[in-house]
Formats: sequence, structure tokens, C-alpha cells
Amino acid sequence: MTSTAQELHPAPTLEPGRTILELKGLEKRYPGTHALKPVDLAFKAGEIHAIVGENGAGKSTLIKLLTGVMPRTSGEVMWEGQPAALATPHEAMALGINAVHQEVVLCRHLTVAANMFLGEEDSRFGILQQRAMVRQAQKIIDDLGFDLPAHVVLGDLTIGQQQLIAAARATVRGTKFLIFDEPTAYLTRKEADQLFTLIRRLKGEGVTIIYISHRMEEVFELADRVSVLRDGTLVGTRNISETNDAELVKMMINRSIEQVYHKEHFTPGAVIVEARNLSGKGFENVSMSVRAGEIVGLYGLIGAGRSEFVTTLYGRHRKSAGQILWEGKEVQVNSEHDAIRLGMALAPESRRDQGLCLNLPVSLNLNLPIYKRISNNLLISNAQEKTEADRQIADLRIKTPTRNALASSLSGGNQQKIVIGKWLAHGAKLFIFDEPTVGVDVGTKAEIYRLFGALLSKGAGIILISSYLPEVYELADTLHVFRRGKLVATHGFRTADHEEILTQALAEKQEKLGGQT
Amino acid sequence: MSTEAIPAEKPKRNYNALFGLTLLALLVLLWIILSVATPSFASANNISNLLRQGSMIAILAVGQTFVIITGGIDLSVGAVVGFATVIVAMLINAGVPLFLAILITLLVGVAIGMFHGFGIVKMGLPPFIITLATLTSLRGIGLLMTNGNSISINNDAFQLFSRSSFLGVPNLFWMVILVGIPAYIFLHHSRWGRYLFSVGSNAEASRLSGVNVQRTIYMAYTLSGLCAAFVGVLLASRIGIGNPTQAEGWELQAIASSVIGGTSLFGAVGSVHGPLLGAFILATINNGANLLNVNAFWQRIITGALIIVIVYFDGLRRRGK
Ligand SMILES: Nc1ncnc2c1ncn2[C@@H]1O[C@H](COP(=O)(O)OP(=O)(O)OP(=O)(O)O)[C@@H](O)[C@H]1O
Ligand SMILES: [Mg+2]
Repeated sequence: MTSTAQELHPAPTLEPGRTILELKGLEKRYPGTHALKPVDLAFKAGEIHAIVGENGAGKSTLIKLLTGVMPRTSGEVMWEGQPAALATPHEAMALGINAVHQEVVLCRHLTVAANMFLGEEDSRFGILQQRAMVRQAQKIIDDLGFDLPAHVVLGDLTIGQQQLIAAARATVRGTKFLIFDEPTAYLTRKEADQLFTLIRRLKGEGVTIIYISHRMEEVFELADRVSVLRDGTLVGTRNISETNDAELVKMMINRSIEQVYHKEHFTPGAVIVEARNLSGKGFENVSMSVRAGEIVGLYGLIGAGRSEFVTTLYGRHRKSAGQILWEGKEVQVNSEHDAIRLGMALAPESRRDQGLCLNLPVSLNLNLPIYKRISNNLLISNAQEKTEADRQIADLRIKTPTRNALASSLSGGNQQKIVIGKWLAHGAKLFIFDEPTVGVDVGTKAEIYRLFGALLSKGAGIILISSYLPEVYELADTLHVFRRGKLVATHGFRTADHEEILTQALAEKQEKLGGQT
Repeated sequence: MSTEAIPAEKPKRNYNALFGLTLLALLVLLWIILSVATPSFASANNISNLLRQGSMIAILAVGQTFVIITGGIDLSVGAVVGFATVIVAMLINAGVPLFLAILITLLVGVAIGMFHGFGIVKMGLPPFIITLATLTSLRGIGLLMTNGNSISINNDAFQLFSRSSFLGVPNLFWMVILVGIPAYIFLHHSRWGRYLFSVGSNAEASRLSGVNVQRTIYMAYTLSGLCAAFVGVLLASRIGIGNPTQAEGWELQAIASSVIGGTSLFGAVGSVHGPLLGAFILATINNGANLLNVNAFWQRIITGALIIVIVYFDGLRRRGK
């Protein structure tokens, strides 16, 4: 990588409007799953083409075929009129096809800069030009308007920030065709806006873009055309100006949804948990409480300290000051074990790192928290293990060939459903959901919110963390806004407007995020 | 996607069973070939001998498998076997009742396993390092205790045990069954077994799901230490001496058996029947090679090649699935 950083994206040669990439009968079978039935689709040079569909519809599979990550079963891909084998990622990149995948696939132990130039390192006489690379990377990041340091280790950033780095990385590689697979899943509105600016700029430079998302408003904001996949079949393609939300949802799930945010109001009962002036790594002096029957929403930017706060409440990290009260009595929560014994349950933020045992069966993942309940002192009840797993699979419509399929073989959204599902049978008093609907499709989101209602009606309380404002806004009875580790504002159900909440979350956030991530 | 005619059966369990059957077929095939190739193989005497040889590694391999499933490794088992022969020999010769001598030896194995758990969980040492340290130091301690001499055990009943048979099957092989059945139930039908897998797959996710990760790790190494001490008792009974340098390299044979039996060194994949079959396949190869007068050096080479071949094909099939 020498000097290419300056001429970021060499202008693609094709005139706009011509077909740049065409799929002819593209098909993919996994053992037990026909993920993509023959699909015909043409992408026009310079367009932003959105792809939507339910969890497990085959979106990511399509992307994996186009980027050479997986071999196709049959069919053809024409690149600028020529058949392309796309057998390896290298070949796809050489053509100018790049992707920002749903799960960040970068090296967590390397620095941001090293990741950006991975495979195209700048070296002189075989010696890596580390400083120069950090400088160049920083320049690119600043240029894109992302507020991130280039010298830190990637693993120290939040998932959302890593996603931005992945996006930045894709732009430095002479890209003609760029695919985003649910890029905003872990981003807050501000980061998402930065990303949209980047996407529009790329489009202006003639790059063709595929944009996959479960958020309809993003599709309408960005895309020129939109294609809908259902069960591995292309249901249709529409110009964005000629379609609407309801039609797309109807095409996606073959039925309509009257209301996504299903909100039931219960009269709040006794206080379940209370934090008094709680401080810990990443947050300071937070006081709040959760009552039975209420949803307490935590909104803020990524890195604002919400996840750190709840993991401390849950005993994963030590508090440095303050008190935790459980049902009115002060308690010491020294481990997750203590927390679970009290009656807490946590569905963590990162499904890959914290939520799932990927190379184990769906059934084991779903039952992990409740093995104690479904076994006597010695033996597990096989029947109960099956029933519990099957119930969650049915309730959450987890798309899997059998309950014994490995979690890694499920689509992203379906994996997320396991992270949620494993706590639903647990019977806790306080449920903490950290970004519970990341990558989950509209239909299932509605289902999850209904299940929230069911939990509340049984007298549980919920802490809901989301970086997606509409979600907390429409669901939370009490909404706390976090900014840089502090609780800065509190609202009731719909007592403030989006604008006000956003301002509170953003204010005085000009400096670099630097070390505090 | 379409889930083609939802196979209600579980592909994973099927796969496990299939792999087990393949190993069993391989073992039977070896036996048939050897029976044809050398007349002495099929003799009752030789078969008993083979079962005795294989049994001890098989028990070690079961304990080792628990550890490997959590993503760890236990390099100390061979040394623990040697050390246990010394302990049991000394206790018996000191006049401690047989039952008590054996119990104390087993507890020593448990203590060694707990120490490994402590090193990994509390001191944060990698399993490879802490068990490697035990491997060398236990042999040293044993040599100090015996001044480098062998202790011959003066208790005939104790030695008779390993030479006798029950229902025509050598007692040592019965011990495999004695260990194997509870181990199978533990690994596949108890929640502790599930926790071994989940910790090996993703410790953080397990922790957040309420699994006591530390206790699970303690448990795996303790069971491995216990199995090793038990094998030490059996070995002492078989050779009639206590000697800390016995069982040299058995840890590698145990690991090899486990891996041949389908255990993944990356953790979270493994069974009980696989390592048992693996151990007897290795024992058959050694036994057959002896009978065929194959140079002992070649036996090692064959074992190495076999490990590569079996693990390669296992990996291919898994990926194909
Ligand atoms: N490696 C794999 N092995 C077996 N089946 C797989 C594998 N990857 C995906 N599948 C299956 O293929 C189908 C399509 O998955 P894909 O990841 O393309 O869905 P998606 O549309 O991206 O969904 P999501 O919105 O949840 O990300 C799913 O049913 C999934 O279970
Ligand atoms: Mg996907």
C-alpha cells in the first residue's frame, strides 16, 4: 500500500445506469438448508441497491457468494458482462468487489491501522512502515468524519466502532462495488449518519452499493432500488419511489404487521433493583431503579457506559463505589452467579463474544441457563431439554433445520434470537437486554416486544439498552440518557421528543473518544 | 431457506455414533487382518494381553478428554501414574490396609488435579505450562521419595487382581467399563458434562449464562488426576512395583487416543466412547507390530501416521457436514 491512500477511490470506469453485475440462476445449498434458490438479479452501476428480507432469507448468503467467501452451488455471476468465478475473496477484491460483513471479520489483536492495511501493508525493504501507516489510517478516518483513533488495538473499540473501521477499510481498496451487510446494527444515529454520508459520497464517485438492513427508514433514506428476498427466493425488485413500507413488509413476510412496537402499560409494582450512586469502570455516580412491571430504557451513544453499568450490576465487573439494593436490601453482587441467584438475567451485547457457544447445538445454547432446573441432581431430563428448546424455537421462529444444528450455522438474526430466547424460560425477576434486536427482522421484533409484555405481566422488570432510539422511545416507561459515563437526563414514556433526547446524548462530545471506549 | 422435510433426528448425535462405528469397524478390521497374518494374535492369551495393555491408556484417555473438551490439556497424566505407583507401593508396604492405600492414592490424584485447577483459575497459568511443570516435578519428587530405586510390593492379593479375569475377561478391562459408564453418563447426560462443552466453546458466554466456569475447570482437571491415579494403582498391581519413572510418555498416548477418538484440541468436541476405541486401536497396532516383529521404531512412525490420517478424515467429514 503505497500512496494509494491519497487517491482513495479511483473512479470506476463504467457509465452510470449500465449493468455492472448480474446474477443468473445463482443458487446455494447448505447441508439441510436450501439457502438461496436460483436468483436472477442485475445491479446498475452507481446505484444504491437495498436488499431486505426476514432472518434467514438468504441475504448474507448472497453476499458471501459475491465476495468469494463461500462457493456457490450453481448459477453464474457476470461482472461487467464477463463470467466471474468468484472462487476466493482475493479474486473478488481484485475485481473491485468489497464487503463490510454482518459480523466484523477483522483481527481484534491488531491495531486499527494494521487492520486497515491488512494484506496491503506499506513496507520499505521488507520493514513495515508502522508510523506512516498509523498516520495514513488516521487521515482516512478523519477524512471520513469518524471520531476514532488509529493507533489503538481494534478489540478495545466497541462493536459499532469496529464496524465503522471495517467500512473505512473497504473504501481504501479501489472499490467499485461495495456491500454493506447490516452496517448500522450496532451504530447510534450519529454514527449511522456518518456512515450514510460516506455511502452517499461513494455513490457520487460512481461506486455501486448493496445495502442490507432490517430498518425500513434507512432503506427509504438511502436506496435507489430495493429487492426483497423470502425463503431464498427473490420476491421482487422495486424503485424506491414506487413502493412503501407496508408493501415491503408484506413482500418480506407474506402478511402485514399492524404494530411493531407493542406496548402494554402496567401499574408499576415494588422496586426490584436500585443503584445508588454506583460507579465503576466506564461510568460514574449512576442512580436509578427498576420496578416490577416497567421497562427502563437506557439510551446513549456507543461507549457512553450503559453496557458497563449493567454488567457491573450483574456482577461481571467490580463496582468502585455506591450501593446496589435488591428488593430494598443492600446486596453484594460479586459474580454473575450471585446476580442470577438473586433473580437477574442478562442478554449481552455481543452475541459472538458473550452470547453464544457457536460450535455447539442450538438446543444446548438455549438451555444453558436452565440446566439446573431441567435436571435432577445427576441427570438431565432429555425430554425437558427438547421441549424447552423446541418451545423457544417455535415462539421466536428461530430458523434452524433441527434443534441440534450448530449455532454457527444460523443466520445472524436467528443467532440473536437464541441470545434472547435462552433467558425467557429462566424465570428471572429482572431482565437486562443489551441491544436485544440487533439484526432481527421486523416480524420477530414485534414478537420479542410482545414477549417483553408477557414478562412484565408476570411481575418482572426490564432494563432495555438500545442504540436505536425508536426502540427505547416507544417501549420504555422510564428513559435514562447516558453521556460519557454519566446519567444526564431522565424522561417518562414519550415525555420528550427525539430531538431533545438526541441532543442530551450528544452534547459536548467534540473531543476524540480516545482511550474511553 | 427451506428446511427439507425437517429431519427430527439429530445430525450431531448421528454423526457421533457414525464416527464411533467407523472406529469400531477399523478396530475389527485390524483384528481380522492380524488374525490372518499371525496365528498367535487370536490366541486367548494374546487377546487378554492386548486388553490389559489398552485398558490403562483407555482410562487415562477418558480423563484427558474431559480436559481437552474444556479447551485445555493435561500433560501430567503419565507422571501422575508413575507417582501413584510409588504412593500405593509405599502405603501397602507400610502395612496400610489395601482399601485405604488405594483410597489415599486416588485422593493424591485428586489433589494434583485440584492443584492444576488452582494454577489455571487462580494463577492464570496456561494449562500446558502448569501441567508440564507437574510432569517434571512429580517425577523428581517420586525419585526423591524412592532414592531412585524401585519398591517391590509385598502383597500377593494386590498383584493377583490385575492378572485375574472375571467371566473370561481380564479384570483390567472390567475397570475400563467401571470408569467408562459413569464417565459416559457424566459427559452426555449430566449438566456438568454440558458445562464442560460450553466452557470449551465460549467461556465468557457460559459465565454470563450462570455457568460456574472456575468450578468446571477444577472439575475437569480433578477428574483427569483421579483417572491417572487410578491407572497408577492398576499399573502397580500389574508390575508389582512402585517406580516413579514408569509410564513414560503415556500422556502423549492418552492425548493421541483421545484425538483419534474424535476429540478436538480446540475444545467443545468429544465423547467417551471415541477415546476408548482410540486407545484400543493404538494398543492393537503396538501388539500386532510386536507379533509381526516390526521394529519398535516403526511402531512409533505408524502411530504418528495414523493420527494424521484419522484426524484429517474426521475433519474432512465434519466440514462436509
Ligand atoms: N454455514 C452454514 N451452514 C449451514 N446453514 C447455513 C450456514 N450459513 C447460513 N445457513 C443457513 O442459510 C439460511 C440463510 O442464511 P443467511 O445468513 O443468508 O440469512 P440472512 O438473510 O442474512 O439472515 P439475517 O437477517 O438473520 O442475517 C439460514 O437458514 C441459515 O440457517
Ligand atoms: Mg445476515
